[in-house]
Formats: sequence, structure tokens, C-alpha cells
Amino acid sequence: MKKLDFILNGEQVTLAADPLKRLLDVLREDFNLTGIKEGCGEGECGACLVLLDGNLVNSCLIPVGVVEGHDVVTPEGLVETERGKCIVEAFADAGAVQCGFCTPGMVMAAASLLETSCNPTQEEIRKAISGNLCRCTGYDLIVEGIKEAMKRGKEVW
Amino acid sequence: MVKSFRPHSLTEALSLRKENDCIPFAGGTDLMVKYKSWTGIPPAFPRDVLFLSHLEELRHIEKRREALVIGSGVSLSQVAKYPDTPEILREAVLSIAAPAIRNIATLAGNVCNASPAGDSICALYSLDARVEVRSLEAVREIPIMSFITGPGQTILKRDEIVSTIIVPLRKSNINVFKKVGTRKANALAKLSFAAMGEVKGGIVDGVAISFGAVGPTVVRSTELEKKIVGKPVAELEAQIPLLIDDYGAMIVPIDDQRSTAAYRKQVALNLLENFLRNKLDDFATHHE
Amino acid sequence: MQGKISDPVRRADAIEKLTGKARYISDFEFETLLFARVLRSDRPRARILEISVPELPDGYYYIDARDIPEGGRNNIQMIKDDWPVFAEDEVRYCGETLALIVGPLKEKILEILSEIKVTYDDLEPAFTIEEGLACKGGAIVGDDNIFGRYHLVKGDPASAFKGAARIIEGTYRTGFQEHLYLEPQGMVGTWEEEKCTLYASVQCPFYIRKAVAGALGVPATEVRVKQTITGGAFGGKEHFPDVIAAPLAVAVNKIRKPIQLVFERIEDITYTSKRHPSRITIKTALDGENNIVGMDVDSVVNGGGYESSSLIVLQRAILHGIGVYNIPNVHIRGRAVATNTFPSDAFRGFGAPQGLFAIEVHMSQVARDIGLPPAEFKRKYFIKTGDITITNATMKDEVCLGEMFRKVDELSGYSKKVKAYDHDPLKGIGIAFVNHGGGFTGNGEQSIIKAVVEMERLEDGRAGLYVSTVEMGQGLQTVLRKIAARELGCDYRDIVYDNPDTDKVPDSGPTVASRSTMVVGSLVQQCAKELKGRWAEGVGTRTRKQYRHPEGLEWDQATLQGDAYPSYSWGVNVVEVALDPVTYEIETRHIWSVFDVGVPMDEKIMSGQVSGGVIQALGYAAIEKCEIENGRFRQHTMADYSIPTSMDFPETRNAFIENPYEFGPYGAKGAGEVVFDAAAPAYADAVGHLIGRKICEIPVMPEKVMEALRK
Repeated sequence: MKKLDFILNGEQVTLAADPLKRLLDVLREDFNLTGIKEGCGEGECGACLVLLDGNLVNSCLIPVGVVEGHDVVTPEGLVETERGKCIVEAFADAGAVQCGFCTPGMVMAAASLLETSCNPTQEEIRKAISGNLCRCTGYDLIVEGIKEAMKRGKEVW
Repeated sequence: MVKSFRPHSLTEALSLRKENDCIPFAGGTDLMVKYKSWTGIPPAFPRDVLFLSHLEELRHIEKRREALVIGSGVSLSQVAKYPDTPEILREAVLSIAAPAIRNIATLAGNVCNASPAGDSICALYSLDARVEVRSLEAVREIPIMSFITGPGQTILKRDEIVSTIIVPLRKSNINVFKKVGTRKANALAKLSFAAMGEVKGGIVDGVAISFGAVGPTVVRSTELEKKIVGKPVAELEAQIPLLIDDYGAMIVPIDDQRSTAAYRKQVALNLLENFLRNKLDDFATHHE
Repeated sequence: MQGKISDPVRRADAIEKLTGKARYISDFEFETLLFARVLRSDRPRARILEISVPELPDGYYYIDARDIPEGGRNNIQMIKDDWPVFAEDEVRYCGETLALIVGPLKEKILEILSEIKVTYDDLEPAFTIEEGLACKGGAIVGDDNIFGRYHLVKGDPASAFKGAARIIEGTYRTGFQEHLYLEPQGMVGTWEEEKCTLYASVQCPFYIRKAVAGALGVPATEVRVKQTITGGAFGGKEHFPDVIAAPLAVAVNKIRKPIQLVFERIEDITYTSKRHPSRITIKTALDGENNIVGMDVDSVVNGGGYESSSLIVLQRAILHGIGVYNIPNVHIRGRAVATNTFPSDAFRGFGAPQGLFAIEVHMSQVARDIGLPPAEFKRKYFIKTGDITITNATMKDEVCLGEMFRKVDELSGYSKKVKAYDHDPLKGIGIAFVNHGGGFTGNGEQSIIKAVVEMERLEDGRAGLYVSTVEMGQGLQTVLRKIAARELGCDYRDIVYDNPDTDKVPDSGPTVASRSTMVVGSLVQQCAKELKGRWAEGVGTRTRKQYRHPEGLEWDQATLQGDAYPSYSWGVNVVEVALDPVTYEIETRHIWSVFDVGVPMDEKIMSGQVSGGVIQALGYAAIEKCEIENGRFRQHTMADYSIPTSMDFPETRNAFIENPYEFGPYGAKGAGEVVFDAAAPAYADAVGHLIGRKICEIPVMPEKVMEALRK
């Protein structure tokens, strides 16, 4: 066990944990932030994505020891921001949600894309979510959701 | 219980490596999957873990003389973004996994994992990359073709870590990287192909051709390349059938859950033929 | 004034899912939660000689058949009850449940599992359809390995074949397919208020209740099932969860504490039911002018080790065996064979995709053999309203295939391209027409399900809706609210529709067979209409409706004759492909579809269903390889079992035609499965056109394309 300090959704937190425990498990069990999901535990499905220092990462592949001193944002934190709210509203209106299990990860991937690219093409959008598996939607309406967020987010990004 | 170490410096890391039988952990994306346990339980690492990618000394990517020096803590995303990264390496890196994994995984990790299907490894062979390896006592540079000895096997010693990957920056006006995956993104390779060529005044000035996932290690033959270098592109056509036979003898893939030996071999040779017949030729005819 | 019912609304569950607030079964917290892990056979066929279990520490349990209580049975009450709760003397497939290990610490559970030694007497297994039919290693089931067989006869096929000028034959194969719902199987069993209570990610809460009650030997009302938000299902959470729930309930009954059983992904892919593989041989008899005078269809599906829903899947495969065509003189034979593979079970389409794949690809091949473009040939045989069906009834649907073809042709340019690409070695285009019978086969709704729906006036102008059908991503909790709200004249958000709890809702049937909108929705509409009329009776007023089969439909289940389905949904897909001649990879360039689902209940939800179904079917056709190696699924990690990513296929371009169904709410017909049925044959047809060879098997891997081209 080690005492680990890091920033979680904008707040300084301290946790005593085995540094090898997966960030996914720490967030879901120790902090009760169940927005991220375990779809595979192999880094394949993207349901566990968080932002680490602003970079999109699979929390099932990150030992919590590595985030000491760093900045972690989960879906719960993201959706409180202006940008997060814009994405949430756009996705809801575009019909981009079905069973919802891939959804928080998709929201994180969308946020990461729109941070770096304010006018992505269809191809760039699809590349940005290529690490997020969805079995329900066939991706079309998720792409529409991201385009809708782009349109509405002119002032926000 | 397995311990983990988070050293404050490269020297401390090397000490810990020498004193403990520990697993060097850069991005860790392969390790976390390999040792994955049940939800809620930390991965079942068989030995202590040595975290490395936070070390400042290992996080640089820079051009030094005529080479790109990539620290072992540099992520694949950073390698892809860096302006001087050679084209086939950039394409190889961008074909690995998915955006989020590329933000964590490292080139050094890909090399040390030494999977026969490692996409970046195929490109690094063609680039004549070298692996810089450090222990407390010594630094050595090992050509990648000598560093990797078999599937999952390298000559990294128990007290060593990989500190940088060194990629010579050579002129190549033709660059081809192709990964044939089980699907179009987020896929493992059925086979990969990384070829570079420099054509000047219609003559092949240099060539490097490597094949991934068609043998226990990446396949590259500097012997066969000598048969191409120095020749006018226009004369290559006659040689192609012989070269295909020669390469065919070296390409010995297997059947597995991803693909068949027959497919891997045929497509590898198709890619070779396409490179020799079309790519070099296209370039030569358009740049007379 | 209200707009049209199809006008899209924001889904009722969108915000909670988008903000991460939606709680799935693994997100629930319970005080003192124990964990369960399954001990499974690692042999495909064997007699169990001995299981040696180490001494267990306090608080850890080894639960097996001996823990089934007095009055309970070691048989899971499913459609058939041949599947044991815990294997006792024999195992018939790799992964059969032997026991559950239950305890507080996962590390300890894993340690216990690693110390258990099972001694088997190995028997010779059969894995393929051929091996099953040949009774390799001796019959697993009966004396011929056949779970069940059917015959359908229309007209006089024997004479037609005798007099035929030419017979064209083809054999078509489809493989296993894994559902790969993003949320793995999971449930928590507890003992609450004196009864076994299960919180579960499932499609059919009442099926779970029945299976558990049977295992425990208690009346159904002594078991309670509460569905939790379900992260995808596609049929994989229709029957299979019974196989998890029954042993879990036995454990809960003994231990009387909350126990969580959630699968890991590798466990889920390796040890859950898959789509039935099929082998279908079709012979078409032609006269001297190349007109079809008869057809013979021989269908076999691989049912695996236990029967489960194999006979119903087989029925659907043969009832859709000649697809959208009116063919005189047909014989269809169907068999479900037993093998030592993981028992196959429900998956979107439920036998129809297999049957429709074969007939559609076959018809295209016959067309090309006689020198006609596929669509032109197929259109000659489109069934029309009033024609005789394969079960010797009249087609009562308004059939709009002609209009649908014109529409898809307009969208895709199919007719021009199919000729133009004949001479292009790098391009191909394919087309497939399908129909899908909505609801349970024949009189299943009337005689088996007898669905009941209830509604209630609540405070503040709201109304409660009580059904057992679940939201699993398909939008049902929004659609049924819309229907009720429209009837009541209120906002859809004023309808309260919680996840079904078997103690609180009537049994309106399982969430399967594309019945939820058409059948349950119709009952909702009737319930709401009556409630509106009685609204003034005050808060607490309840209405109740039970299913009644539409007049004029007749069905004989013993002979499979009559009106097989009350209505059909119809679809057409066009897929355009290109070849990479160096790697033999096929790129899908364009996808178009036109569907008739009666009237879509929500345009956006319906569009999402089309995209999702089409892409899932293209995965089935092109990249989802699922092989058996030593009785186990060879591709069993998320990395190796390849489902489509956002990069694998382009966006789908879809249109609908409206064709209101008299007995569906606001004209709706079934929608959830027809969207899956056409894309795979359209893809195989396109690749066949592209490479100028007959493609008879899916998935069509580049390895196979290479083989075909080099022949």
C-alpha cells in the first residue's frame, strides 16, 4: 500500500492503495465513479476511457501508482464542464445512445477529439473513436452526435 | 505480495533493476493484459514491477546528428506526432491499436515485447534501428536485428533496461508500410510490410525490405537487397521472379487464430512484387 | 396538435446514460457482497469420474448439484429442460457448469479454483454438423443426434423435379457468431423479504423466474427478478442467463447472502451461447425456359450439447427458407443436430438470417448461371398479397417489394452498376431482399405467452406502465412511452416505465422475436385508450389488456401449416464493394437499405436500429471469424474476436416506406431483427459479383477470397 496524491475531476485527492491496482478499479470501487465501465479489461473496447493530463487513456491498463501527481478526469467530471455539457446535449439530440454501455467512453473520445480539432472530417471522427467499440449503433449516429457537438460548440472550444 | 518501484532517477532505476529481479514497466499496455486478473484484483505480476515512463531522462525524442533518438518513456502518439519521424515508422506506429493505447504505449515496450506481429518492429528493421541498453555499469547499442532473437525473446540482460531506440535518418524517396490486420482499426497484424527505397537517376541507390508476422522474428535479408541495389529500375523486372522465389524461401508463416500460412505468404510476396514492380518503377518514371 | 408518432424525441434514458449515472449490475453496491465464479469442464465430451475439492476456509462454499434443495430439479426449466443446472455424470461441451465457488475474497476464490482437480474419462467428441449427423463417438442425443426435424411441402416438388430441364444446386454455410454486447453477462442473487431475488441484466425476467423456481422447487411467486439496465443483449441475454441464474439461485438459497456473478470478457466469449451455425443445400428445378418450377431446401443447424431453443430457431430458418419468393412446388427439410459444442441459442434473427442467407445468395447464383442480372430474376418471383406461402396459407401482408426495389435502385444506382461492374475486376455490387415474421411463430402469442399489459393513473397527471419487456438499447422504454402518451394526450415523460420487477408487473412476454413494439405496444395502446376513457375515476385507476390473436388467422403447430406470422417486415440491402488485388481484402464502399416496418415509432431510434443491425450483419458476413479448436472457441479475446470498429464500414444510407399494419400500434410492425437479415447475403452477393466466383460461406475472409481467385 502506498499513499498516492493526485487530482481527480479537478480536486486534490489522497488514496492509500496498492500502486499496481488498476486505475479502473480505483475509480469505480474506491471513488464510486461508476461512469467508466469494464467492457473487456484488455484495452480493446474503450468503455473505460479517462483523460490523464488531458490525454485519452484506457484506465484498465493504467496502474494507479502511475497517476501520482497527475490529473485524472472521468466522465462524471467531464460532463460538468461546458464542453462536456455540449457533447451530452448533442449526443442526446442526435440519437447517439442505445444501450449506453459504450457511451461514457464515446463522450470522452469525443471530448479528446474536439480539444485538438474543431472541424474534423467524417474520416477523422471515425479515427478518433476507432478505439471505442459499439455493438448497438453501427457508429453512424455517434458520428452525427460529434458533428452536432462541433456545430453547437463554436464558442465553447 | 508483489512490490512496485517508482524510482526518482535513471540511476536509481538501474540500481533497483540490478538488486531486484523486476519487470521493466514503460507504458505497460502489453504487461497489464498479459497478467490481467479478475476485476478488482491487481494484475498477477510474477515479479516486482519497475515503473519507468515517468523518468525525465527517458521522455525525450530528438534529432541527434543523423538519427532520431527516442527515449523509452516516449509514447507512440508522441513518436507519430514528431515531425522528423521517418514515414514508415509513423505509419507503423499509427497502425498500432487505437488512439488511447497509443497515448500510453511506448516504442521501447513494443520492441521488448518482441512479438513477431509487432508493427513498429517491422519498420524498425528496415530503418536499421539500434537499441540502446543501459545497466549501472555500461551502455551498449545493439542493432535491432540482433536484439530480438525469437518470439517474445530479446537479449536484454537481467540488470539492463532499454533507454532509447535510435533510428538512423536516411534518405528514402519511396516509403511503403502496409499492415494487413484482422480488421481496419484496433487490430492485430496478420502480416506487415515495411519497405524503403532511394532511387536516383533511375538507379536504386538503397533499399530495405522487411516482413512482419511471417516468421518467429521479422524477416529481412540484406543479402537479397544487395541484388537490387545499384541496379537500374528498368532492369528489375527481369529479376522479380527470382527475388520472389528467394524471399519465398525465407517467409515461413504459420496458421493461427488470425490467419493462414498460405495467405500470409502469398500476400507478403504480393506486397514485395508490388513494391518492386510498381513503386520503384512509378517513382523512377515520374522523376526522370 | 401533436406531430407524427415517427417524429423523433429525445430518448427517455439518454441523459442518465450520457452522464455516467446509469447503473448497470456491476455498478451496484450491496452490503457484504460475496462473489461467485463458475467451475467449468475443460473437456468437450467426457464422463466425470471424480472432483476433488480442497478443504475450504470459513465463509467459502463449493456449490454443486447436491445443494439443489428438496423438491428442486437439476434441470434448467427452459423451452426444453434437458440442460442441467450442474453437470453430474457427464459433460457434453467445453465450459459446462460443474459448480460455483462462492466467497468474500476474489483472490481466495481463484486460489481454490486452481486447487480443484477434476478427473474425466474422455469420450470422442463431435464438433461439426457433419460429425454430429454421422454420430461421431456415438450419439450424444437419442440414437441419431437429431434434436428435432421438420418438413414443409407446398405443391408437388417430386413431379417438378422429375420434369425439370435443369437443376442448379448450392450448399451454403454460416458460422458461429458471438453477440459481444458491451456489458458482459451479470447478475446478483440475494435473499430479500424471504425469497430468492435476482438483479439481472436480462431480456426476459419471467424466463429467469421460471428457471430459478424450477431449480429451487418453489412456486414462481417465491422468486423475484428485477431487471437492471442492460448494456446490450441481441438474444444473448434471452435464454442463456437461465444457465447462470439457476446455479446462482441454488447458492443464494443455501448461503442467504448477496452473491455477485459477473463474467469477465474472455469468459463471456468462451462460455456463452452463440448463433447456430447452418448448412443449407438448395436445389432449384428449372424448365426449358429457365423458369423455376420447384425447389428443394435441406437445412441443418448445429444445436450444440443441449437443445435449448434449437427447434424454434430451426422452425424460423425453414419458415424463411424460400424468403420473399412465391415458388411453386417446394420441399423444405430441417434438422437440428447435437454436437459437443457450446449449446447454440438465440441471436437477432433467430434462424431467419441463416435461411435468408442461403436463399438470397442461391437466387443470385441461379440468376447468373442462366445469364440474368440477380435483381431482375428475383423480382419475377416476389411474393404478392394473396399468393400461397410456404405453409400453404395466403400472404396477407401488403407486399411493397417492388416499390422498395425502385427506391433502393434510385439511392444506389444498382441496376446500372451491376451491369457496369461486370467488366470491372475491382468492383462489385450485391442485393438481397428479405422478410421477417413479426412475433412468435404461429399462435405462440395466443397459446403460450398470453401477454398482459397494465396501466395505472398516478399523481400529478402521470401514468404508470407495467410490462415485462425490457429496454436493452433498442429504445423500447421510449417507444412504449410515446405510444401510451399519444393515446393519453400527455407528454411521453409523464409515463412511468421502470425496469421490470416480476413482483410488480404482469407477464407481457419476453423481449424477443421483434414483438415488443408490435404486440406489446398494441396492448399498451389499448390499455392507454381505456385509461383515458376512465381517467376521471381518479388516481389509482388501473386498466389491463390481454393479447388476442387477430381474427382470420389459422395455424397448426403440429404440421406447421397456416398463417406462420400475423405480419412480416420487409427489407432490401444493397452493398457495393471493391477489391485490393494485392491483399485480397474487400473494402465496403457503400451500403444502402430500404425497410418496411409498418410505421416507424421514432425516426431516430429506427435509424439507429438500421445502422446497428446492418453493421452487425456485415461483421457476421465479413470479419467475425469464430472457429472451434478442440471444442473451444478459438477467437475468444476481444482482440481476436473482431467486431466492426468505426473504420471498418462506411455510413449506411437508409430509407423507409410506410405500410401501416392494422393490428400494430399506429401501424407498427416488428423492427429489431429484419434490420439484420439482408446485409450478409447482400455482401456475399457483392463479393461473388466482384470476383466472379460463387461465394457460399460466411464470413468471407480475404483468405477465402484468395483461395477462390487462385482456383
